[in-house]
Amino acid sequence: MPEEKEDKKETAGSTADDLAKEFKEHSVAEFFKKNRQMLGLTGKIKTLTVIVHEYVTNSLDACEEAKILPDIEVKLSEIGEEYYELYVRDNGPGLTKETVGKALGQLLAGTKFHRLIQQRGQQGIGAAGCTMFSLISTGKPIQVISGTSHGKAFKCDLTIDPKINSSKIMNLEDIDKPFKGVAIKAKFKEVKYQKSDQSPLEYLRRTAISNPHAKISFTEPDGTTTTFERSSKDIPKKPTPIQPHPKGVTVDELLTMAKYTKSRKVSSFLKDELDRMGDKAIEEISKSVDFDLNTDPKKLAWEQAEEIVKQFKKIQFIAPRLDSLIPIGEERIKKSIMGIVEPEFLEVVERKPTVYKGGFPFCVEVGIAYGGNAGRQAGTDEDGRNVWKSEILRFANRTPLLFDTGGCALTQAAQSIDWKRYGIKDFDNSPLTIFIHLLSVHIPYTGAGKQAVSPEEEVMEELRLALMDAGRKIYRFIGYQRKMAEKEAKRKMYYKYASEVATAIAELTEKKKEPIEKKLHEIVLKHLKLEEKKEAEEAKKMEGLTEEEIEREYEKKKAKEKKEKDAVKKKSKEDDE
Amino acid sequence: MQDKQVTKKLEDAGEEILKQIDKGENPNYELPIRNLNNIFFDEKSKTIKLGDKTSSRQFLNVAHSRKFMQTMLVAAGLKKVIKEQATTSIRDLFYNMKHTIEGTDENTFDTQDESDPLIEDLEASLNVLREELHLIATPKGLVAGEVKIKEAGGSVIDVSKMGSSGWAVPSNVEPEKIEIKEVDADYVLFIEKYATWNRFNEDQFWKKGKCILLTGKGQPARAERRFAQRLAKEQGLPIYALCDADPWGYYIYSVIKQGSISLSYSEEKLANPDTKFIGLTTQDAAEFKIPKDAQIKLNKEDLKRLAEMKDYSWFKKKEWQKEFDYMKEKGFKMELEALSAKSIRFITETYLPKKIQTKDFLP
Repeated sequence: MPEEKEDKKETAGSTADDLAKEFKEHSVAEFFKKNRQMLGLTGKIKTLTVIVHEYVTNSLDACEEAKILPDIEVKLSEIGEEYYELYVRDNGPGLTKETVGKALGQLLAGTKFHRLIQQRGQQGIGAAGCTMFSLISTGKPIQVISGTSHGKAFKCDLTIDPKINSSKIMNLEDIDKPFKGVAIKAKFKEVKYQKSDQSPLEYLRRTAISNPHAKISFTEPDGTTTTFERSSKDIPKKPTPIQPHPKGVTVDELLTMAKYTKSRKVSSFLKDELDRMGDKAIEEISKSVDFDLNTDPKKLAWEQAEEIVKQFKKIQFIAPRLDSLIPIGEERIKKSIMGIVEPEFLEVVERKPTVYKGGFPFCVEVGIAYGGNAGRQAGTDEDGRNVWKSEILRFANRTPLLFDTGGCALTQAAQSIDWKRYGIKDFDNSPLTIFIHLLSVHIPYTGAGKQAVSPEEEVMEELRLALMDAGRKIYRFIGYQRKMAEKEAKRKMYYKYASEVATAIAELTEKKKEPIEKKLHEIVLKHLKLEEKKEAEEAKKMEGLTEEEIEREYEKKKAKEKKEKDAVKKKSKEDDE
Repeated sequence: MQDKQVTKKLEDAGEEILKQIDKGENPNYELPIRNLNNIFFDEKSKTIKLGDKTSSRQFLNVAHSRKFMQTMLVAAGLKKVIKEQATTSIRDLFYNMKHTIEGTDENTFDTQDESDPLIEDLEASLNVLREELHLIATPKGLVAGEVKIKEAGGSVIDVSKMGSSGWAVPSNVEPEKIEIKEVDADYVLFIEKYATWNRFNEDQFWKKGKCILLTGKGQPARAERRFAQRLAKEQGLPIYALCDADPWGYYIYSVIKQGSISLSYSEEKLANPDTKFIGLTTQDAAEFKIPKDAQIKLNKEDLKRLAEMKDYSWFKKKEWQKEFDYMKEKGFKMELEALSAKSIRFITETYLPKKIQTKDFLP
């Protein structure tokens, strides 16, 4: 089974050799029956989320492939203690009687080859892993209904025969009602539904954010249904596989590629196997190295490969092809976050694709949502006002990353920003949703769990630049918002005193209080408007200044204001005993 | 000034603000600045006087707004007090005006410290006396000596028969309230501290020394100073001050003599420019061989205050400059009680008689 060998390497990392050994002795299914944790299904709460992820990812991928706008319905019912039934239905191309077994009942069958293409990652071991887990925890098969656009729809029960890693289909029968897509009903034990940052609901919310073309609804065990409407009708373009970019290739990788190339000369090998490698670059390399580029690439020595890689660093290459990465896109992210997060203000920054070591193009998209319903509501304070905490939504190739938050480069990048510079005084306790999407043909995950991204230098740099750019934009808004709040506080103060002043003037002049107070209010509003105008003029003067200059001006102004305030205080204190 | 006139002044101030409001202007109120930057020593009257610098208190100014509101409340409150023909203490007035602003948890006034200076502001800007506003400060002054006081509509009080408690100075000592009669004294002894006054009274020094003993228990209020002024003007008595030998004691003397900064607008009615300073001085320490133990080291605050006073124009006389320099050089201060270190009656039996006899005064 050559397919399996490929995947073992990827999912099990350093223990690949041990795994290979075991695989020879048992079927894959048997192996996982003994090693459930390797299905990625550890933890009662996490397991449910991962299962939902597997099914929903399958549906999204299938729809994308078939160019269908996904409509996904997920329903979770509690049928006993730590015993749940999950129902997932999509409107995708559907499975046939021939493909249903392989798709849902054969472990590792659906996984893709290791190739340089942007794809939604799998976290456990695919939909078949869920079938497996259902069998392990309940002993029951899953129920499937499926229909394609042509032919009759069918339903069946499906489970896995662990001994031979093959699906077992039972009660297969055609149904007369028209049905398109796949509906799966599966039971699981030893799992638990709980509302948290890592619950299926949160997972689906984030999935909806990163897949604005999908409509996703989720019904919780208590019957509450949440629907995330689609905000875009654009089905993401299909990403294309690409070659490594010379800027990121390592000596070892170059030599490995040279070993398997069909090219006969080093020069043609470089041009054929690497992205953005033109004649001009070959010419430059040939001038700078002390060996002939017409030699057989299979005979390339380590030192020579090293020299070539050194030259790569010096030469200017065009950035990797953008079509190898399909970003969600600034506008679509905006619409999506506006619809689902409902912030008061939003800034989205999309960076140009670049490369991190290994020649892997990647690109980051970030969004900062502030105010409104942004952030996580964390209870209320003594006065009954909502208390907000910030949240960081991490995505890798459109897939939300819910676990291993601290160990992830995306989190670290957000935390490394000095948010105070952008008007966010207390990052953790602000109504703030940070959206971070990393796209790459090869996401540098920290481990097999694919829950955290490792802090590659180039990735970190890009993330920080994007976040700072968005931060600068949001700064203006927060500054404005703060100004408005100050203005409102001022108005309130003047109104408050106006009432007292009006009473006193009324008593002194023996006139009615109300008209005086009304007049005072008019004066206050007129005054504040005038003040606003003056400030706007001042702000205009500030334009054209660099950020540091603005900051300096601001500090100066603050110091002056403080001095004035102190002077007033001193004045009132001065005088003799 | 008649109540009617005072009321009119208050009402006019209100009308002025109302006019501004009707015109849609930022309501503001002009008032004299009452701090060191706007007072001067008037060589003619020998008192501190208020200069003509004014500042505008504005409603639409974050730093002024609350004070503006409070000033208006004080003006309205005063009008009420006069209308009701009552005499109110400034503390009563404070409580009268203090309330929670509707719909907020903020008080119009939090402490009396907020309302008192505003009353002085109004006195200064309207040019009226506190007494004319029907306001009194809590009286605290005491008098002992051969003098009779006739209160308006009341009986005659023989102060010499008041015993150890003395006669309490009422808050209003204007001629229409009290009459000073049958004074038998050569001078007035204005004593800073009650304890010292008590010693003198207990020893019946007023009899022996033929003087009137007066204390304001610390910084004297306007009533005590006004009373002293009347004794000086009507009876021709010189005034001698007896205070601690420290910057604060010297300043109390200065207030008795030429007035205070905050009340600079009415010092002509309160100050006693001919007052002389008997003591205590730091130079007395050597002269009277006061034990070192009774000396207190000057602290940072003392030195700061000392430097400030050295700069006051009315302290520029060479005798005072010499005392300031001496105090600074020696680095100590003394309280009046330091004299008790010699013996309990040292102050009444030795110190004061000797000082008066040798005319060892500071101007």
